[in-house]
Amino acid sequence: MSETVCVGAIAGSFGVRGEVRLKSFCAEPEAIATYGPLSSEDGKASWAVTLARPVKGGFAARLTGVTTKEAADTLRGVRLYAPRDRLPALPDDEFYHADLIDLAVFDTGGVEIGRVRAVLNHGAGDLLEIQVPGQKAPVLLPFTREVVPTVDLGAGRLVADPPEGLME
Amino acid sequence: MSRSVWKGPFVDAYVLKKAEKSRESGRNEVIKIWSRRSTILPQFVGLTFGVYNGQKHIPVNVSEDMIGQKFGEYAPTRTYYGHAADKKAKRK
Repeated sequence: MSETVCVGAIAGSFGVRGEVRLKSFCAEPEAIATYGPLSSEDGKASWAVTLARPVKGGFAARLTGVTTKEAADTLRGVRLYAPRDRLPALPDDEFYHADLIDLAVFDTGGVEIGRVRAVLNHGAGDLLEIQVPGQKAPVLLPFTREVVPTVDLGAGRLVADPPEGLME
Repeated sequence: MSRSVWKGPFVDAYVLKKAEKSRESGRNEVIKIWSRRSTILPQFVGLTFGVYNGQKHIPVNVSEDMIGQKFGEYAPTRTYYGHAADKKAKRK
């Protein structure tokens, strides 16, 4: 499990008073401000975020220590990371995509099938996209109790019992 | 313009046959179909279809609220991954 989660990015400056245009990657875009202070990818810089108002393509926001347009311009393209422990705890059988991605997938016999590459939802429930070593196309597993009976985040693994015809 | 009611919902015949066969066998299997245009009928509820999106078969667990929609609606032909951020997945 990674210790930080990418929650947004700075798209550039907004206006001439040191505001930035902030793109949020959160499920509820406004939630990005609640995970602050946010840090850069290398963790060397961090900023508290205050959302000013929604604008085209995201939010106009103020970052602590950024007071001029020139300073805001230099931050263009910076991705913002929040510590994983800032995300609120979830009820049973609900998981953050960030926690599921990169988990090792084992079958019921204990043989490793692959790793979770992405979590998708096309309207018919969540799907785990599994990258199987030596196979070009990924395998999609429905994220249900029957197909994925065990999710062990601590051990970084999940156990899958794929139905017939899914792994072909 | 919507489809005339007297015609009934459209379903490719092979989808009906495959679904019936799978239900009779009672096995836990994915029913691979290529017919994205077929309507989801009440007798498909509880079955898992692999709907072709031009590249691979996307697993679709049919539930009651999907009745009347088309299979193709649940198997998009373009994939956008986006960022994980704080997005959640629920195990059903």
